[in-house]
Amino acid sequence: MLDKKLSTGTGITFRKIEPYLYLAPATILIVLIFLYPIVDIIRTSLLQNNPDGIKTFGFTNYRLVFEDPVFWEALSNNGKLLLSVPILTVLSLLIAILLFEHVRGWLVYRGIIFMPYILAIPVVGVTFVYLLGLNGIVNTLLRGAGLEFLAQDWLGSVKWVLPSLSIVIIYREMGFGVVLFLARLMSLEKEMLEAAAIDGANFWQKHIYVTLPQLSGVIEFLIIVELITMLSWVFAYVFTMTGGGPGFASTVLEFYIWKHAFAFRSPGIASALAVVLLMVTTVLIVLQLRLRSRSLEEGL
Amino acid sequence: MKFSLRVLTVVMILSIVLVACGAQPAQTTNGSNEKVDLTFWYWAESDAPGADAWMTESVEAYKEINPNVTINIVPQSTDTLISAFQSAVTAKSGPDIASQWATGPVLGFVWQDAVVPISDYVPADEIKNWLNTNENTYEGKIWGAPLYLIGIEIMYNKDMFTQAGVTPPASGRWTWEEFLAACEKLKAAGLTPFVIGDKDGYAGAWWFAHLGMQSLDSTDDLRQAIIGNKDFTDPHYTGWYSELDDMVKKGYFNENVMSLDLSQGAQAFSQGKGAMAWGTDGMIKQALNDLGADKVGVMRTPKLGTGKMADTGNATQSITFFITKWSPHPQEAADFLAYLHTPDRLNSWYQHTGVIAADARFDRSLVTDPVLKQMMEWETTGPQVWLENFLPGQVDSDGDLPAGQMIFSQSGTPADAAALWQRAAETWRNQHPDELTNWQNWQQ
Repeated sequence: MLDKKLSTGTGITFRKIEPYLYLAPATILIVLIFLYPIVDIIRTSLLQNNPDGIKTFGFTNYRLVFEDPVFWEALSNNGKLLLSVPILTVLSLLIAILLFEHVRGWLVYRGIIFMPYILAIPVVGVTFVYLLGLNGIVNTLLRGAGLEFLAQDWLGSVKWVLPSLSIVIIYREMGFGVVLFLARLMSLEKEMLEAAAIDGANFWQKHIYVTLPQLSGVIEFLIIVELITMLSWVFAYVFTMTGGGPGFASTVLEFYIWKHAFAFRSPGIASALAVVLLMVTTVLIVLQLRLRSRSLEEGL
Repeated sequence: MKFSLRVLTVVMILSIVLVACGAQPAQTTNGSNEKVDLTFWYWAESDAPGADAWMTESVEAYKEINPNVTINIVPQSTDTLISAFQSAVTAKSGPDIASQWATGPVLGFVWQDAVVPISDYVPADEIKNWLNTNENTYEGKIWGAPLYLIGIEIMYNKDMFTQAGVTPPASGRWTWEEFLAACEKLKAAGLTPFVIGDKDGYAGAWWFAHLGMQSLDSTDDLRQAIIGNKDFTDPHYTGWYSELDDMVKKGYFNENVMSLDLSQGAQAFSQGKGAMAWGTDGMIKQALNDLGADKVGVMRTPKLGTGKMADTGNATQSITFFITKWSPHPQEAADFLAYLHTPDRLNSWYQHTGVIAADARFDRSLVTDPVLKQMMEWETTGPQVWLENFLPGQVDSDGDLPAGQMIFSQSGTPADAAALWQRAAETWRNQHPDELTNWQNWQQ
């Protein structure tokens, strides 16, 4: 009856708008949580400080960002962290393949490897601060084994802080990659691998020529996700382990955004930095979506 | 029926969303006998161990006198002290009373119109008893209340000195040459002359506040470099980094300086891992407890510079408590802060922390330990300046702290450290023209 009443005046029936009403709460949440902050950050990034304290609109904040030497140092540090993505990918793949081969105890190993991924990053960070100190457990073991020449100030040295952070990030993120690859491996057609074995392919040949091509979609996905992680999801590691130091040797873009937003009282600069970071990660997300769409078309 | 159920479901979901969006926080009532809730973002424990327990006791005692007033204490972290309150300022919502380090950090929030002057709510005859109010005086008003005074001096291990054949300064202060000679003797005896932690950058900042001050003639001298009238690469401001660098190269500091933060460095002294260390009153008290009351001595920073501030003390109230602009109960907040200065609370503060209260009415006879008595004398005699409080936060964070880390980690030269200061100041001036105007107009 209500359908008839609605259609008399407006041509819109309740039946037509009903799905949108069900979607409305989730849509409102998405707009509030995602779209509104993005719009607000872009707006704030265009509000520039003036000597008289009155804010005006303009692109000065972006100019100041690109003129800030610390921005380039932070960007460079993020770039160096990107180098850990291929290492992470290869390690995850190797371990997943080993687990797929059902080595003895593989179920236990799978759990152990995935466990760091479910730990909160600050927990991992604080733990590794104690492990990697100059007189921490790692160096103590090295010295005890007569390898004192290898003992370094892993987090207190400009030379070693980023590689050390990379290792911690790889340690924690690897579980995600392993589980991702393992899930895909378990869905592969066993007959292809058996046929390769029958044809005389050894372990490496089997996996390079048969397994890897079928994992290409997942590899692409993991690489893009981890590239985004290295750009925009490493704040907690830096905050808990190094504070961006020594000096600016481990300062990353997220950390510098946080400093400007909350410590330096410059929301305009922080927003401009955030928009720059958003642009870079958007490029990667678009790339990932295109690769994914291509993989789906190819049935991978 | 099916249709009505669908309509009812949709209406219920929309209603829940609308109610959630429109929810209002609970309102507190006001009035002399009506319930008042105050939220106090509190920081002091890192400076003065025992401060948290004292505050808990104070809140309970205040409740007995003023049953209608409830104080909710929210302890703050050192790392997020400024950033957490900045979030509150941005939201114009948060605590009724907040804590910030004196002078620069407090004024930064005053200039953002987030603070009301406490002198508008506390009578002058009460405020006149508070010490070091000059640290938060601006445009004739006092913007926050002190609670305690801390100085930072060098604590030394008497046994290690004896072992190395080092005689502490009879006057309580070495020349710089005497200090270096002592470090050399201690190192020759197989001891770590000076133990410190700079992982968080604050140890370098303490060296700046001590040595950097000695070549300056006034805090305005520093302000001239901050606002761009002078250059931080001038040895007048950063020449002392050469001395620090020399000490690092000679191995006068512990090897793991970049693995320890500031408080861990002080703890290392209490664990007998170094002959000397910086210490606040609270850290020194801890060392006296850990090593023995007759095993620890104190001395003033060795004299290096020849500026007019070379003999200035470094005592500061450190943390300031102030009333926020958005608090609906500024008078009640001020009344509580004034209560913390009653004789009973002042004496209890000392019993809990061993740190002297920033109040002329503090009973000095409570300080019986000779080392802490000496600290009290230095902190309350003559002019006192904690130089780090006279830096904009960004210059402190991007200049002061990393410059010290650069020297301790040996990743740069003293010239690089000076250049870092200059770069930080220039960047701050460019990015904060409004703050620059405030600093230009601030008469110190």
